[in-house]
Amino acid sequence: MDRDSEKHDVERLPYTEYVRKMMNPEKIFSKPEPLKGIRVVEIGTLVLGPMLPTYLAEFGAEVIKVELPGIGDTMRSLTPFAKFYKNLALGFEASNNSKYHISINLKTPEGKELMYKLVRKADVLVENFRPGTTDKWGLGYRQLSEINPRLVYISMSGFGQWGPFTVRPSYDAVAQATSGLMEATGFKEAMPLKVGDWIGDYYGALIGAFAVMVGLYYRQKSGKGQYIDLSQAENLVRNMDWTWLYVHLTGKNRERTGNRDVAVVPSDIVRVKDGYVAIAAFREDEFRGLCEAMHRHDLYERYADIEERQKPENQEEIYAAMHEWAKNKTVSEIEEIAGKHGFAAAKVMSAKDQYEDEHWNERKAVWKYEDMVWGELAEVAPVPKLSESPGRIKWTARPLGFDNEYVFVKLLGMSIDELKELYRKGIIGKYTKEIPRTCPPDDWDRKSGLFFPEVRVDE
Amino acid sequence: MSDWVEWAKENCNVTKAKDKPEALDDVLVLDLSYGNFAGLFSSSLLAEFGAEVIRIEPPGGDIARKMTPFGLKIKDTGLAYIVEGRNKFHITLNIESEEGREIFKEMAEKADVVIETFKPGYMDSLGIGYRQLSKLNPKLIYTAIYSFGQFGRKAASKMPDYDVINQAMGGITWTTGIPEEYEEYPEHTRVPTRMGPWMGWYVGGGFAAFGIMVALFWRTISGKGQFIDVSEAEAMAKVQNYYIQYYHTFRDTINRVANFDPAVYPYTLAKVKEGMAFIAGFSDVNWKALCTVLGREDLIDQYPTIKERLNPENWPKALKELETVTANMTTEELIQATLEYEGEGTAVAGELLTPEESFNVENWWLRGALMKVRDPYYGELAVQGIAPKHEKTPGRIKWLCKPVGEDNEAIYKKYLGYGKSKLEELKNKGVI
Repeated sequence: MDRDSEKHDVERLPYTEYVRKMMNPEKIFSKPEPLKGIRVVEIGTLVLGPMLPTYLAEFGAEVIKVELPGIGDTMRSLTPFAKFYKNLALGFEASNNSKYHISINLKTPEGKELMYKLVRKADVLVENFRPGTTDKWGLGYRQLSEINPRLVYISMSGFGQWGPFTVRPSYDAVAQATSGLMEATGFKEAMPLKVGDWIGDYYGALIGAFAVMVGLYYRQKSGKGQYIDLSQAENLVRNMDWTWLYVHLTGKNRERTGNRDVAVVPSDIVRVKDGYVAIAAFREDEFRGLCEAMHRHDLYERYADIEERQKPENQEEIYAAMHEWAKNKTVSEIEEIAGKHGFAAAKVMSAKDQYEDEHWNERKAVWKYEDMVWGELAEVAPVPKLSESPGRIKWTARPLGFDNEYVFVKLLGMSIDELKELYRKGIIGKYTKEIPRTCPPDDWDRKSGLFFPEVRVDE
Repeated sequence: MSDWVEWAKENCNVTKAKDKPEALDDVLVLDLSYGNFAGLFSSSLLAEFGAEVIRIEPPGGDIARKMTPFGLKIKDTGLAYIVEGRNKFHITLNIESEEGREIFKEMAEKADVVIETFKPGYMDSLGIGYRQLSKLNPKLIYTAIYSFGQFGRKAASKMPDYDVINQAMGGITWTTGIPEEYEEYPEHTRVPTRMGPWMGWYVGGGFAAFGIMVALFWRTISGKGQFIDVSEAEAMAKVQNYYIQYYHTFRDTINRVANFDPAVYPYTLAKVKEGMAFIAGFSDVNWKALCTVLGREDLIDQYPTIKERLNPENWPKALKELETVTANMTTEELIQATLEYEGEGTAVAGELLTPEESFNVENWWLRGALMKVRDPYYGELAVQGIAPKHEKTPGRIKWLCKPVGEDNEAIYKKYLGYGKSKLEELKNKGVI
């Protein structure tokens, strides 16, 4: 087919077919990477620091993850019910794909020298130590921007680099608890709830990645790097929708309302015979559809007007009717009725549901692939799907110091002898069998997945 | 340390942003979001950093202005919308009219970014989707946000997009909530539970803004625009820990664990004098630290490794032991004790605040996480400020929101040269 008729063909495709053809999940590796040439040095642990560069790595940035020798990133031990997959912690897997893993003792002068060499060639530095720590080590923004003024340097922390809370150590849940997110989640008559995942970390890291991109965009125009201070607690504060304005105007607390939405009425989750379904119908036509489906045209008559629906006593009546109507139906019955009547309904999905869902798989939303080191794996695919320069997952998290040789030889031009010397002095480190979670799989063939042969001090 | 804090305070203070440059002041964004806070939040992020964002609403206004708790509004606009109206210009345009479409095309030719949240194919069917606009403006970055995304068998389903739908499909609801077997809680509360705020929209919007920045960056190198497809449900899945990995590896799902954590223990709420507080001390060294802080060194060897500590049967037992100490402390005392600990490892405690209490946290106000803004239309209000604090190009809030169509005159003049009489004519025809 010649180009013109192919173009003509695209013109006539149904919309979603046209988009599928344009996005084509099977052709992602034949397209350019938008962040190719951007080098990121990460000195992070757990999720908040490491996940940020992962988002950048998925779009082609060369991320060099620096861990301390010994146990490496604490995240290497975070896995549910202490179940590892061939030495790999699933928490570590989920927050570290497509990076190069090296291990440097940052507390030694020689280790710092190595860092300076890397930073000279880097575009971005990401760290999430306690505020002031990298500065104390000589690896703070003030020192590193001297040797590389184009560096975009982001510090991720619980509460930011200055202010009364700076000294507080923080985790995701601390941010959730302090921001008000936990007290806004759950039922009033039960207890406040921690969200079932590390939303402050994964989502904080995303906004960090956005912030870095803002910094890089500005650098394209100005030539200047800069410093960014991101607090994950403040990031959750930012995302509390109408909460603060409500407290400001009414002087009242935002109470927990379970699954019921008090602004988008109705919007709730109902228990059905074989699971749980989210239902929402805010637009008048959607609400009419829901009422008709429930054979409750009287509700529509009275509450077609959105403001009427939002009154507390009316909300109560509408929500009670929905639960009553739904309880003897199945998930698929409700989904089907919703489609017919034009309101929204969706199953509360588990990871299994997502993993097996045909729609998600057509979109390659679950990225199933063969990793060079670990074999068959699955991750959640890069999320914004870009048509011309899409994100991709190349490999998952790697053993401690796995890419020392590649990075130090290729990037810093060091010799094998120099490397051996650094290993001997403990300036750089590598996985050891005493700490299995730093290691490749036990049956690893000593070469799969390596970009440069390993140097063995004893050989 | 203190020296560093001084530097950071001097250089990363968004409340003093106004004399510094804006990173995105050369970016023009057309935001056609309708009833969708993922779209609104994504353009808010861009607007905070200086992009000129033009909100295009239908002549009757965006239904998102009505999504407000208990119907609470200021001058006809709901609270949530006011929060995400920041720094945006507001015009109206009826894109279902022929003339409206032509006007939109002219605007899109000049724009860098288009954001829309309609059902897939709606814009395309009007002749103003990416397929058509990319010919007029090959540098355009066109972002479409929808629960199911823009392709795949369910993309054409026409299901409306809501926060709760995205949270439910995203997997996060499945893992949040009180398990069925915790019988001390009422039955209707032992269910999968959504996050209170609209995270199913906000997280999707965050990914859209990130995608737009990646595309803008790549455009400075390649000169090319592109299409961005964001599913908010997939966005939720992306921030959902290792749950897909766990299913793939062990063919098992992570279910609700109340306030525990399947991979980290302890990392939970514990009883304190005045209610509950958060405590954590995971990895062996941090567990030692926590037990030491609480004077329960005997527990160190009772649960020596993650093997014991990540056994769900041990979770309530070990928590009860820890609570024998914490229940007699205030949150403040608990936090102080963890901060004073000087041994190896870190024990963490955190206060559990209601939104009302959090609103009064001085730290947020000092750092501009919460801000008071005097808005010419809506008065002096308190809203969330800017999350990331950039040294050289800080984000800022210039105004909060505007009424429907408030900027018609200025924007149509600036970009299309329309005068008053032309606008009057369009208004009479129902185009604006």
